Amino acid sequence: MTAEPLRTGDGTALHVETQPSLPGLGGLYARGAAASGRIAAGRALPGLPGIGSGRSDHDPGAATDLALPEVAYRVPGVTTTGLARHLHEYQRLLHEPVGDTLPAGYLHVLAFPLATAVMVRGDFPLPLLGMVHLANAVELRGPVRVGDVLEVRAWAENLRPHRRGVQVDLVSEVWAESGADGGQPSWRGVSTYLAKGFELPDAPTGDESPRADWHPPLPTGRWALGPGTGRAYGAVSGDRNPIHLSALSAKAFGFPRAIAHGMYTAARALADVGHVRGDAYRWTVEFAKPVLLPGTVDVAITPETDGFAYVGWNGRRRLQHFCGTVTPL
Amino acid sequence: MATRQQTPAPAAGARPDVRDAVVVGGNRIPFSRAGKKYADASNQEMFTAALEGLVARFGLQGERLGEVVGGAVLKHSRDFNLVRESVLGSSLSPTTPAFDLQQACATGLEATINVANKIRLGQIDSGVAGGTDTVSDAPIAVSEGLRRALLEAQHAKTWQARAKALATIRPGDLKPMAPATDEPRTGLSMGEHQAITTARWEISREAQDEIALASHQHLAAAWESGFFDDLVTPFRGLTRDDNLRADTSIEKLASLKPVFGRSLETPATMTAGNSTPLTDGASTVLLGSREWAESHDLPVLARFVDAETAAVDFVHGHEGLLMAPAHAVPRLLARNGLSFDDFDFFEIHEAFASTVLTTLAAWEDADYGKNELGLAGAFGTVDRSKVNVNGSSLAAGHPFAATGGRIVATAAKLVAQRAAETGEPARALISVCAAGGLGATAIVESV
Repeated sequence: MTAEPLRTGDGTALHVETQPSLPGLGGLYARGAAASGRIAAGRALPGLPGIGSGRSDHDPGAATDLALPEVAYRVPGVTTTGLARHLHEYQRLLHEPVGDTLPAGYLHVLAFPLATAVMVRGDFPLPLLGMVHLANAVELRGPVRVGDVLEVRAWAENLRPHRRGVQVDLVSEVWAESGADGGQPSWRGVSTYLAKGFELPDAPTGDESPRADWHPPLPTGRWALGPGTGRAYGAVSGDRNPIHLSALSAKAFGFPRAIAHGMYTAARALADVGHVRGDAYRWTVEFAKPVLLPGTVDVAITPETDGFAYVGWNGRRRLQHFCGTVTPL
Repeated sequence: MATRQQTPAPAAGARPDVRDAVVVGGNRIPFSRAGKKYADASNQEMFTAALEGLVARFGLQGERLGEVVGGAVLKHSRDFNLVRESVLGSSLSPTTPAFDLQQACATGLEATINVANKIRLGQIDSGVAGGTDTVSDAPIAVSEGLRRALLEAQHAKTWQARAKALATIRPGDLKPMAPATDEPRTGLSMGEHQAITTARWEISREAQDEIALASHQHLAAAWESGFFDDLVTPFRGLTRDDNLRADTSIEKLASLKPVFGRSLETPATMTAGNSTPLTDGASTVLLGSREWAESHDLPVLARFVDAETAAVDFVHGHEGLLMAPAHAVPRLLARNGLSFDDFDFFEIHEAFASTVLTTLAAWEDADYGKNELGLAGAFGTVDRSKVNVNGSSLAAGHPFAATGGRIVATAAKLVAQRAAETGEPARALISVCAAGGLGATAIVESV
């Protein structure tokens, strides 16, 4: 089950493994299989080295040996025909207009479980649980609609030092099987994760540069996020990480209350930008302080020369939660 | 004053092909703070009371009017024919047509525009415009989860499918949903939106409190002078607007804590004193052609000259939520060949004291005139002594859809009185901001 070679950003050739179906909710919905909330991560958890262990299990001396698996997963023939109802649930939750065009955040929900499957491989060097989602950058190059048959690809690349550990990019791509995309994926997402407590050679020194005093702009919107926000997005996205589901399960991971999914907040901001973003756009986000649930997030969407910038913050404590851009292509 | 390029129009909105629509009079019930005197009064009861008072005042029992038009902002789905039902409950002829209309806080003025236009076109000879709102008796909805499950169960063909639909109901879905006044697209309440506009225009707390004080003093004086004697019918034992604080003072207003804009970088300035309270009430205005008024031996207060609505792009903060009238008025005045100097009265709905101030400031700002209004410079300066001379919503309260009718009746009576005193024509400009970045404006003129 090997296809043509595929290369990462730095030119590393990847061994392509074709999978029969997408793991997680997206694939389950698409194939009409029995509903199951488990994400690929949950299935693969037992017996994996280092999962959920953080720094204690790791010998710092061995850290320099960290290497990513040189493999890409590929799932051809992903049908979206049965997705309309699930898509509309997503669109209502994220305040997207309801229709049959898949927003960039929905394609993330569809494709990311395959990237998760890469992360839970036995030879993936970092633990899935406890990793911090630092940033996400997505390009949607044209509309993807219900009924399109897609190929999804995913791999990990660009393992690099971060002042608090190591970071890695999980790349996922969605290709239209009709071949009408001119040799480019219709959608490409790069999710950057941090594994704390790991080390790479040439790591920058740990001193945090003092953050400039940040002054919130005038808000253009306010989100009142109820206590069930994480459960609702977890149900639609399949990402049922316990830190999002309840105060109790979040406390086990060191959070005072449940926190909102980063991608939920980024996708709400994307929806806030509205139809002016067009059918093709670049959408980025950087995550700062997590949004505790229930909670209120002040948001400002600001027009820029080539698109929109957005920022979300806690109005009472003047703490930034996230910021990003939406740029029509 | 600079104007936009428009089709050249004859002076003061005279259109050779349409006839005049005139305001005969108005009637409302006293406005009451939410949860007080009208706590259990429904929209229909209040609107019927206001309408019946109007019928009694002008002897319209058994009369078939051309149309009754009105609405409510917070409306229960069972009230789909709210205005028609009110007509059937009144002593007007049951052959009087009616329809519901809704444009948030501009509902009452939009209803007046509608009735006036039909009269001007000769489609009807007479009509009533108005509105009603209750916050106390607001509809409570079920959650989206429960609503969808119930609908799905209702549409299900088998009991299994019905059971499956009902099984999706979660305990959290059973929580009732009270209507919110937040802007659906931004999640910010109207007060928070206006706090942002207030900060942008750097409107001071003192200036806002002065507007609030003037509103109470002016409304109290108008009640004392008997101005409302033929504009209001008592209801449920209430004879005057119960939000009115004749004895309030600048010190009392200054002592109130800010309620909006508290998370902004700039100091919060908007308080419960310089913002309108949630209010219950209903209002009506009787309009007709001159011929109809004459043939029914009815007085004529004013001519409803022209109107203009506007909407602004507020969603990403390009413009303030409540700034649409600032855009509508320059267009309205240009079309009618008028400037601020041609007006004796300005009725600017006080959604918040700062709404009045940001609107006036925008008209005085040269950059705003150029960039937002497409003019050569500032639009103009309003003589502040002509603004809301008999008080406005800060003192009277603001039952959303009922405010337009209150203002139209007040403005019509003001110009009629002034013309009677001076023997000169008098003119009033009406400006009402509304949710959704909407605004409605109109001109009334003595006859």
